[in-house]
Amino acid sequence: MGFLICAVALLQLIGVFAGFDALADRFPRALLPLGVSFIGYLIYVFADRYENYPKRQRSIQNTGKIVMLAGLALALIAVVGWESVPGFIAARLQLPILLALAGSILFGLMTWAMWRHPTALAMNVNNARQEALEGYLFLSPNLIGFLLFLAGPLLLSLYTSFTNWDGFGTREWVGFGNYGKLLNLTFATLTAANQPANQAINVKVYDELARFSLFGSHYLIGATDKLFWIAMRNTLLFGLLVVPLSVLPALGLAAILNSKLPGMKFFRSVYFIPSVAAVVGIALIWQWMYNASVGWINYAILSAANFLNSIFGAAWIAPQPRWLSTSDTALLAIVVMVAWQTIGFNTILFLAGMQNIPKVLYEAATVDGAGAWRQFRNITLPLLGATMVFVLSTTIIASFQIFEPIFIMTNPAGGPNNATLSAVLYLYQNGFQRFNQGYASAIAWLLFVIIFLVTMIQYRRQRNVTYEM
Amino acid sequence: MNKKRISILLSLLVLASMLLGACATAAPAAEPAAPAATTEAAAEAATEAAVEAATEAAAAPAEGDVAIRWRTRPDNQEEANVYKGISDELDAQLEGISLAYEPGGSEGASYQDQLKTEIANGTAPDVFWIPGTDVGDFAKRGLILNMADLAAGTDGFTVDAFYPGPMEYLTYNPESGDSSALWGLPRDVSTFVLYYNKDLLAEAGAADPAELAAEGKWDWDAFVDVASKVRGLGSDIYGYGANAWWGPYGTWMNAAGGGFFNADRTACNLNSPESLAGLEFERKLYQDLDVAVPYGEDSEPPFRAGKVGLFQNGRWATPGIRTVDFNWDVVELPKGPAGHAGNWLFWGAYAVNANTQHPEEAWKLVQALTQADTQAKISALGTNIPSRVSKEATDAFLTFTPPANNQAFLNGLNDSATAEGPLWAGNWPAFDAVAGANVQALMTGEKTIDDFAATICDEADKTFSE
Repeated sequence: MGFLICAVALLQLIGVFAGFDALADRFPRALLPLGVSFIGYLIYVFADRYENYPKRQRSIQNTGKIVMLAGLALALIAVVGWESVPGFIAARLQLPILLALAGSILFGLMTWAMWRHPTALAMNVNNARQEALEGYLFLSPNLIGFLLFLAGPLLLSLYTSFTNWDGFGTREWVGFGNYGKLLNLTFATLTAANQPANQAINVKVYDELARFSLFGSHYLIGATDKLFWIAMRNTLLFGLLVVPLSVLPALGLAAILNSKLPGMKFFRSVYFIPSVAAVVGIALIWQWMYNASVGWINYAILSAANFLNSIFGAAWIAPQPRWLSTSDTALLAIVVMVAWQTIGFNTILFLAGMQNIPKVLYEAATVDGAGAWRQFRNITLPLLGATMVFVLSTTIIASFQIFEPIFIMTNPAGGPNNATLSAVLYLYQNGFQRFNQGYASAIAWLLFVIIFLVTMIQYRRQRNVTYEM
Repeated sequence: MNKKRISILLSLLVLASMLLGACATAAPAAEPAAPAATTEAAAEAATEAAVEAATEAAAAPAEGDVAIRWRTRPDNQEEANVYKGISDELDAQLEGISLAYEPGGSEGASYQDQLKTEIANGTAPDVFWIPGTDVGDFAKRGLILNMADLAAGTDGFTVDAFYPGPMEYLTYNPESGDSSALWGLPRDVSTFVLYYNKDLLAEAGAADPAELAAEGKWDWDAFVDVASKVRGLGSDIYGYGANAWWGPYGTWMNAAGGGFFNADRTACNLNSPESLAGLEFERKLYQDLDVAVPYGEDSEPPFRAGKVGLFQNGRWATPGIRTVDFNWDVVELPKGPAGHAGNWLFWGAYAVNANTQHPEEAWKLVQALTQADTQAKISALGTNIPSRVSKEATDAFLTFTPPANNQAFLNGLNDSATAEGPLWAGNWPAFDAVAGANVQALMTGEKTIDDFAATICDEADKTFSE
């Protein structure tokens, strides 16, 4: 671990991580010399054929080594150019770099020493320990990636959520201040349903979030950050709408696509296309379709009304919904678009699940006189349990993280009147538009807790239901 | 040497070549301007080099030149091409400087959000454009360089060459409260006009707004009359259209004598009687009179489809509208109760990254980008108005037709236009979010003007404490 830490620090300090683009740009130059090196390796391996002629074998091996080393040397020259090396070294003769280098060498030597036979004997190494160690070593690339690019930023954001960091300056510790501001609510009893909020709560601190009547009394709820609660409400509502709309039709479609009807392979591809299309492109197309004045959907409604009027001699006035510009329909419009995009992916998952169900069960049910619906209800659905949990979990998680369609399709993002403001969009606005990285991190962690709890409940429920096949 | 050792040697050498390959471009990039480069400087240079390599537009710096990256937000590909051409010309003009232009922004990506992220990451360009409203946020957080000292040492430079409105904000020093700073120079200015469909207005029998304006009769009543007549042409034809952001609704407030903030811009003024009068007039356009494209819908597509009579937008919309196939022109906004049209003087500025390694070269580039020749080229495209105050610049601007009535833009600037500006005492994005959502609720009929007035400033004033 010490070696890994020092090596990563060394790479960071000398600018390797910032230089991946340069690497990608320059490394292809070395491909040809590396090919030469590979040929050298093949020559070296070829020598094994002359196992019974040691002299010839050694001679071929030596040739192979020379070709390999020459190829590698040429590769180095191609990538770097010798003239750059002195400048490269001179620019990096800094204390932190030298310390990291010394640490890497020291820990590297220690690691090397641990592999040596005497050390192994001294440390009572047995096969089990060695296997475990090798297992961890095989795991290490993934583990290092996880620590660096997932666990590290996660922990950093957890720490940031307890600070007032703006993304640029120093972080000041504010404890649970961000969480307090997000969650702080106040309740007040009103003397009349329409009593102004400033007479009931301290409007310098709280904004009116909601008011309601219960058993003849009127109440008002205030929040220090009402937008957070609005965003959470919208996110929950979005999830409640989009999950059934993108799971149930997918189940039905999968049942149809699982049949032996002609053309099913074609339709499987067709339904999957929206899932692989870029969300930005799809959102822009749907935004255009939803346009109240010149959009295709309202145009279709208008044309249909005109057609019916011409047939029946009626004078129906076609409704022209303002899909994305009124609070009543904006979230629903986003739900329809997202469900349309998600159905295809869920369908493929269900289809895979259905094809894993043994055919013999259906044959037995048919012999017993069960119809198609009965078979679907009593065989397909129960045996799709694991797939269902996976589909539900991924769809719920994705719905709670809704961001791109809202960001692109609504104007201003989250509008109208915050009707489509989602938790992740609010997080983004705080973190990247209002310089509140600490606050945004707190929102992220609250959202994580909610998603974690919902997912855990689902898995627990599924764990209690098992079917023997 | 056994196979295992050979494999190790091979791996080490490949690793070494990758390592050196990743770092190799750093040394040459850092050498010319930073001979005593620190580790950070070297890493910065490596980062710059990496980004540079990834940018197709980047020109290869000549030997010994200082590489400067710069960025602005073009509204369309034609404008991006013009900026690229300007970058190439300036690259040849500016001795010892190699320029790389990066067009910023794209559909669905916010220009400022990306820029802030790059600044935090240390990969932002040396010079970049930011909108006038953002200058305060960037300056307060130390993200842009105060160029006052560099300007003081520059022969012939004077802030008086530019429109005074933007320069008042660009020279404001929040620490001393005076005009001793220089945060940037304005790229260009713009103002609102009403683009109008002459064919549609003629079909509706409405008066020509430009003629009414020339006669001094272009006021709110005349505006409603024209918009209503056009709306009468059909259920899918609208008299007026504007997009849902602070600019359009701000003009109605300004024209009624109101505005966003109090005099010293330290508190909300959206509930003043004048501001409410302006908002109430606009609300009537959407709700009571029903002459406007629904609030929140993009008005430009229906205007370009020939379905909107009067479309409120800035000079930046001109290149797109030049492609329509009906007769059109522009007219200044109608005068309101305050006796003027309440227009905005929009502007954005070229600022220098506070972390640039080459402040002097960046300052030279900022000056070059705002020189008269450069601004004339951008204006010729039709996008914006030069930010330099000079008769030559405005005379040249008038020749960039269509629209025929370019004078309407200049009239808008000279009719008590309010310069957009940063919010030094508060958080503008947060204020904008609160005001925008509430105005949208008002315009879509979800809130009454009384409900709006009762709560708006309690809510918006909290953003001054952020």
